[in-house]
Parts: sequence; C-alpha cells; structure tokens
Amino acid sequence: MRWFRFALLILFVAVLQASVLANMDVRPDLLLILLVFFAIYCNATEAIITSFAIGFAADLIGSPIPMGPQMLSFGIFGTLLAYLHRVIAIRKMPFQALAIFATTLLAGTFAHFLAFLIKSEPLTLSIFRTLFWMAIYSAIVGPFLFLPSAWWMRIRINRFTRH
Amino acid sequence: MLFTWFMLAGFIFLFAPQNLTDRFQVAFFRVFQMPLSIGENISLSVRTPRLLSDDTNVVPRREHVKLQNRCADLEAWLRQEHEKLEKLAQLRARLPLEGAALVDAGVLSASFDKLHGELIIDQGRDDGLEKEQFVLADYSIIGRVSSVLSHEARVKLFTNPTSKNIAVNINGTKQFMQGTGDNLAKIPMVRNTVKTDTEIMAARAPGFLDAPMIIGKVVRCERNSESAVLWDIIVKPACDIKHLNSVVVIVMNPQK
Repeated sequence: MRWFRFALLILFVAVLQASVLANMDVRPDLLLILLVFFAIYCNATEAIITSFAIGFAADLIGSPIPMGPQMLSFGIFGTLLAYLHRVIAIRKMPFQALAIFATTLLAGTFAHFLAFLIKSEPLTLSIFRTLFWMAIYSAIVGPFLFLPSAWWMRIRINRFTRH
Repeated sequence: MLFTWFMLAGFIFLFAPQNLTDRFQVAFFRVFQMPLSIGENISLSVRTPRLLSDDTNVVPRREHVKLQNRCADLEAWLRQEHEKLEKLAQLRARLPLEGAALVDAGVLSASFDKLHGELIIDQGRDDGLEKEQFVLADYSIIGRVSSVLSHEARVKLFTNPTSKNIAVNINGTKQFMQGTGDNLAKIPMVRNTVKTDTEIMAARAPGFLDAPMIIGKVVRCERNSESAVLWDIIVKPACDIKHLNSVVVIVMNPQK
C-alpha cells in the first residue's frame, strides 16, 4: 500500500469535495466512493486504516457538523464492507454501485444520528432526502472512478485479491 | 486491536469540546485556503453566466444591489426616526449604528447547500466578536455569529435550516424567520400574502442591532402546510451570498 499516494489522493479529494462540489445541490460523496474502493481492493488491516483516515478527512470538511461522527461511521462501515468482501465478491460494476449506494446511505445516516445524539445537531427529513440522492449520484459515478484511483494507487483491480 | 484504537480516537473526537475540534476544521480551511478558493471560483463561474457588456453606462449588478439595499436601510431608518419624533421621545436619540464598531472580516470558507448555510470568517474573539452578533454584506443582514474562536468565527446564515433566531418585521408585526436551506428562508404562518420583491427588514434586537436593516426579498407565498388560512412567505437574501469574499460584523458598544 502506497501511503504517501493515499494521503495525497485523500487530500485532493477532500479539497475537491469542499470547494468545487460544495455548492452543488445534489452531489456525489467522493470520499465515500474512495472508502468503498479501498475496502474492496485492500486487505483488512489497510481497509481499517483507510476507512478511519477517510472518515477523519470527511470530518475536517464536514463543517458545521462537529468532528467525530463521520470518522466513526466511515470506520465502522468501511471495516464491515472489507469483511463482507471476503464472503461476497464485489467485483462487477453493478455490485460496486450497490455497495456504494448502501454504504452512503448507512454511513451518512449513522453519522447524522451520532451528531444528533451526542452533539444535538438537527435531524430533519431533508437530510435523508439529500442523503438518498447523494447515494444515487455516488452509485452512478463511483464505479467509474475506481479505475483512475487504482491507477494512482498502483492497485490491480482485475483480480479477486490484491497481492 | 487496530480497529479498537481507531474507534477510541473517533470517540475522543466525538466527545471532545467542540471549540477544540473546531480548531482542526478551521486549521484545514486556513492551510488549504488557496486551493479551496480556486475550486469555489471554478464552481461559481460554471454556474454564473458571464456578463458580455462592458458599457460604461451600465452599473454592475452587485453594485446595483448594494445601492438598492443601502436605500432600503436608509428608508427604514427614516421611518423609525419619524416614529420616534411622533412619540416625542424624551431621551436624546442616537443615529443607527452610532455606537457600533463595524469589523471587516474575510471569508475563509462557505457552504450553501440544502443542509448547510455557514461561513467561516477570519476575525474572532480577539477582534471583539461574540456570539449572536449580526453580520452584514452589501448593507444587508446575512446571518449571526454562531461560534467564536480566538481568531476565527462561524457565521450561521439566516438561510441555514437551523436558523430560527432572526426576527423580521412583516405586515406591522414581528415574526421569526426560519432558514429552509438552498439559499432561502421562510416566515411561517403569516395572515396575509406579501407581494413578490417586497423588502423584508430584520427587526431591532437590543444589544445587537439598533435599527431595522434589510435582510431579504420575497420570492413567493405558499399556503402553510398546517393551516390553510395562513401563508408561508419565502424570502431570498438581499445580496449575492455565494460570491462574498468579505463581510462586516456589527459589534454594538465595543469595549475600548
């Protein structure tokens, strides 16, 4: 695992998410797409580290939501996805899209729920509506972003497991 | 074991005081201010049509809006002064914002989507800022300070879905405006409709705002979902919040 490239990729995507995509009404969650990518194509240990790191990056740009909920949420669901991938191969694009959709919905809902529970952040219906469309958009766009991510990280994606 | 350690770190961030964890977020926006502003400019330039005319007789739209807002503020203050005169006030009246300090602040980051409506500015407690102070742009109210660090502060825009603390004058009564996200707010449960483009003035707030100031304009009126006889007045900001680079914070009675 090339950690320096990973750090650069996450920083780039975080800046992109917080600037170019920030003012779109409905936008894909690029960090979550990366979460699913690393959960599928890395081993368990690397998947855990990358999930929590991506969650930390999501917390940094997640203002006004306070820090903590997304780090936990991404970490838990990234790890679960990594272990699920050992049982059910998520190789084909439709399955990857489904994984992105489910992870976006579940991780997003859990993060907002944690923020509501611990930090008293508001929890309104519009949040779930926005999360749903974000999940749809991410599921459509996500699988196509796996190839450039794999190229940057020097990961082969035409095999079941990575060496 | 690794999972447990990371979960512990996550819980530490979750339960740490927010003014401590806010520093991480603000530090990120400060360090990456340039690439973030480049990205925002790209995003906004794609969405905003460019003006082709450079006719010297044409005033730029932003300048036009700024002057309109200034006019509206002056008219409101004039009405207020007329009322005071009619009441034959015993106390010597102060000019609006006479005792206030106006603190210029640069915008470090901004978010305006359906869920958020917030700015992070580069002035903080050391510059005299406190929570609930009103924030202006182009002579119009855009929101209130929601949290303050030493050198930065967060501004909750009045269009933020959690914003409910800005009172406005409508049809002669005072009501609280609620943000709805997506750069809009509503004044709920109003008896009568209001014409489109009517100026909405923020009401005086003792200690924070000593004269009405324009905050928005009416976009449309919708039937209230709970009561068919009442209306929700949908309001848009009086200035172009998405293109702001700097704002002004009203500090009433600053300590010298």
